[in-house]
Amino acid sequence: MNRSLLALKLLIRDGRSGELSILVLALIIAVTSSTAISLFADRLHRTMSTQAAEFLAADLVITSPALIPKQWIKEASILKLTHAKTAEFSTVLMENDEILLAGIKAVSNNYPLRGYLKSTPSDYSEEKISHTGPKKGEAWVDKRVLSALKLKLGANLIVGEKALVISQIITYEPDKRGDLYSLSPRVMINDADLGATQVLKPGSHVHYFFQFSGEAELIAQYHQWIKPQLLVSQRILDIHEDRPELGTALSRAERYLGLSSIIVILIAGVAIAMSTRRYSERHFNATAILRCLGCKQNEILWLYFFQFLILGTIASALGTLFGWFAQEALFLLLRDLLPAKVSAPSFISIFIGFFTGLAILFGFALPPLLRLKKVSPLRVLRRELEPLPTSAWLVYSLALSLISILIWQYTQDLKMTITIIGGGLVITFVFGLILYACLIQCRKLLPFLGISWRFGLQGLVKNPKASVSQILAFSITLLAMILSYSVRNDLLNDWQNQLPNNTPNHFVLNVFPEKVSAFKQLLKQQNISNIDLFPVVRGRLVKINDIAVQQIVSKDSQGERATHRDLSLTWAEQLPEDNKTISGQWDIKQKGQVSIEEKLAKSLKINVGDKLTFTIGSQQLNAMVSHIRSVQWDTMKPNFYMVFSPKTLSRYPATYITSFYIAEENKKVLNTLVKQFPGITILEVDAILKQFKTILKQLTTAINYLLYFALLAGFTVLFAAVYSTLDNRIYEGTLMRTLGASRALLRKAHLIEFALLGLISGFVAVLMSEVILFALYTYVLHLDYHINWILWVEIPLISTACIMLTGFWGLRRVVKHSPMEVLREI
Amino acid sequence: MLTSDGSLDILSSVTLTIKSGESLAIVGASGSGKSTLLSLLAGLDTPSQGSILLKGQNLTTLDEDGRAELRNQSVGFVFQSFQLLPGLTALENVMLPLELRGEKRAKEMAANLLHRVGLSHRLTHTPLKLSGGEQQRVALARAFVTEPAILFADEPTGNLDSKTGEQIIELLFKLNQEKQTTLILVTHDNALATRCQRTIKLESGRVV
Repeated sequence: MNRSLLALKLLIRDGRSGELSILVLALIIAVTSSTAISLFADRLHRTMSTQAAEFLAADLVITSPALIPKQWIKEASILKLTHAKTAEFSTVLMENDEILLAGIKAVSNNYPLRGYLKSTPSDYSEEKISHTGPKKGEAWVDKRVLSALKLKLGANLIVGEKALVISQIITYEPDKRGDLYSLSPRVMINDADLGATQVLKPGSHVHYFFQFSGEAELIAQYHQWIKPQLLVSQRILDIHEDRPELGTALSRAERYLGLSSIIVILIAGVAIAMSTRRYSERHFNATAILRCLGCKQNEILWLYFFQFLILGTIASALGTLFGWFAQEALFLLLRDLLPAKVSAPSFISIFIGFFTGLAILFGFALPPLLRLKKVSPLRVLRRELEPLPTSAWLVYSLALSLISILIWQYTQDLKMTITIIGGGLVITFVFGLILYACLIQCRKLLPFLGISWRFGLQGLVKNPKASVSQILAFSITLLAMILSYSVRNDLLNDWQNQLPNNTPNHFVLNVFPEKVSAFKQLLKQQNISNIDLFPVVRGRLVKINDIAVQQIVSKDSQGERATHRDLSLTWAEQLPEDNKTISGQWDIKQKGQVSIEEKLAKSLKINVGDKLTFTIGSQQLNAMVSHIRSVQWDTMKPNFYMVFSPKTLSRYPATYITSFYIAEENKKVLNTLVKQFPGITILEVDAILKQFKTILKQLTTAINYLLYFALLAGFTVLFAAVYSTLDNRIYEGTLMRTLGASRALLRKAHLIEFALLGLISGFVAVLMSEVILFALYTYVLHLDYHINWILWVEIPLISTACIMLTGFWGLRRVVKHSPMEVLREI
Repeated sequence: MLTSDGSLDILSSVTLTIKSGESLAIVGASGSGKSTLLSLLAGLDTPSQGSILLKGQNLTTLDEDGRAELRNQSVGFVFQSFQLLPGLTALENVMLPLELRGEKRAKEMAANLLHRVGLSHRLTHTPLKLSGGEQQRVALARAFVTEPAILFADEPTGNLDSKTGEQIIELLFKLNQEKQTTLILVTHDNALATRCQRTIKLESGRVV
């Protein structure tokens, strides 16, 4: 008969007898999780990218100090990309004898390509959303423009030579950037009026933003086409660089998604490995009979391989279906938090889930299956003949290479993959050895123990190799769950700490030195104290170790951008709290020292001890790099690339900058501030902050659901894994009963054995998790590592309870039914 | 045979010729090497020295797959512990060797033989639901269904009560006669051995 048909028949019969349930369950969980996570991550990623695009108001933005060649626009049209243009510059407005430095933004009719504007037609109306900016002849302005210039809605505002009607108060623009020094009260006008204002003359300081949107592939194509043609002064904006606070949050969340995928794969792998092992052991006898009846070795292998292929396909298809529903449910749960339009799932993600399932199945199931090939036909006469185990090399290298490929595929991060695989291997090996040694030593205890303790402990120590692999399997599952839980907690705490309720929502610039103390005093009267004011001197880095920076920087690097513009230089006796030393020492006593931010230092290849030359106005200043530090850009506080030691910059004119929190109801303080210190510029960042907080909230909820998913998978697999180790115990327990062991004795011995198994696995898992978390936090996620002592109590307790109860439940047949009944079933 | 304590001779100086159609009983005490001899004769195992010819083919020069092929084509087995596949029904168990041969009429042939052993009403039952005697009858049907040239039976009544045992033996010899099979029977039951045309006795691995 056709071997495949025979395989199918055997599979159906195995299925009928319940032989396959654990394996199928493990596989379905694996595929459901990997499909759900892969789909969810993919859709979330694309939704977030769309949202990120909203912060740029387009999918791709080129910034340039001058107009771009027409050919570039033509090429975009050929690719069917839509295109918009904005021009931003500062100009002084004069109305009613009042003067205001305003940030003008002239926008084309298509603006914004992504996201929307919010504005109100009067003080009392609700905000309304619009997808286009002001029409020709109109101006939309910040509320502060009206109060500062004593104007009302509907009045004329003269920008340069052109009178425009103020038609709306603008309350939100998607691409309002955090570039603090170019942000002034906004006046938005139509691009068509720009020429008539006659403000822009050759040499005027203006930023053009050429915005494009369209299909992701076409955008990518355009990106590639345009990149080599960009001039030094032009560049493509990137969400990760231009909105660092969002970029960091997004990339961390993406990494968590990646981590969750790995965790679920690991858990599923453990379950499949354990249940296939059980499956294979339970098929030794049947295989021996088949061999005896004349089945060849390769036929045996094909018979089982084909069964697994069918099983894998069915379970993967079911898992993919469940995974689909699971991620739909996730999005349904998150519908209030996510944007109304969520990106559609991609077919590739569905296939990834499906094939991940098959890959996990064969990666983990093949070694035990290969063992079946080696079953001797002689086993029909001599039951004790066990086939040789598949070589350890094959077992581990197969599973490992599979896991590595999957991790690499999910993280797209070689360093993280190597850290996880290398670390995991070393840890598993070291802990395996320690456990083995401990179990061998425990044998010495046996003669001193009472009978139930002896039987309980014997279960673990009589075959230390098998016990070690069992404990490691439980530990790895628990470890995966701990990792998922801990990283999530610390990630969320970190976000919460980063943006507490009183996160600064206002920046104040241009406070003159002689006004600093009066300014502080006024804020103090308004109950805003403990604010830090940082001096700012504008200067440009021109030489590193007497070599012009242009010769050092590489194109499109952060270093290049930082050296093409004036930087805000500051000095301080104390560095901001969240800045951390990377190398060198911060010496405030010595004049002429500078501390530099690590990423910029890296981009410009600057080390401690290097000499930097700056031009400030028309003068040159030299300073020595004594310190390199990391900066948290996402704290809504002033941050600096360059911090000098005090007195180094004292001969240059400086203004001060600060940030602080004002509750909505106290906003009138701002009016007092503006009145008393007319020179200052106040930037309200509430909108940016709110946007950021919303994103974090969305990510938090998503991450919580992923955690629940991983935990659910973990617990199910833990139960399945305990079940897969029961056969031998059932047999021995039944024999003991036949020999007259009481039910109470057996119950106690089983409880002791499983409790020990759970306790040891729990401790090993916590120990492993501390090592891995340390590596993960320090080298990958860049979070603070700390030992969580509660876990040391919780995890061993939970694992003891779970394994003890499951094992006890699984073995209840031994104590409940007659020994003969149980023996017949084995 | 090599063990962890050095080499161990289970069988030595056994020279034996069994003619086609002959029935041979191998008797001896426990541990005398009966089952080992059977496993060697059936090609389930290979001797560390010496050679075994089955239907003119030297088993010792065949690899494992070659021996499997030979077993499938020419050999039938009946075991003390029945050795039925637990997941399969009685009918499916008997069909199995035919299916492995690629026999298209497997179902019909298997059903016929089960009818012959008196189990037509038990076709769809799994071994777990059959008594010991019934299980051994299924095993007999499975052994004879391929009409093997040689049938090896290892203590076929060892797990059965005497009455059931007798019925099985009757059936075994009846089928053997009908199908003209060479029968090699391992037993420690002298009465059973006398029903064979020839008996050899093993003691400590030697024919006495």
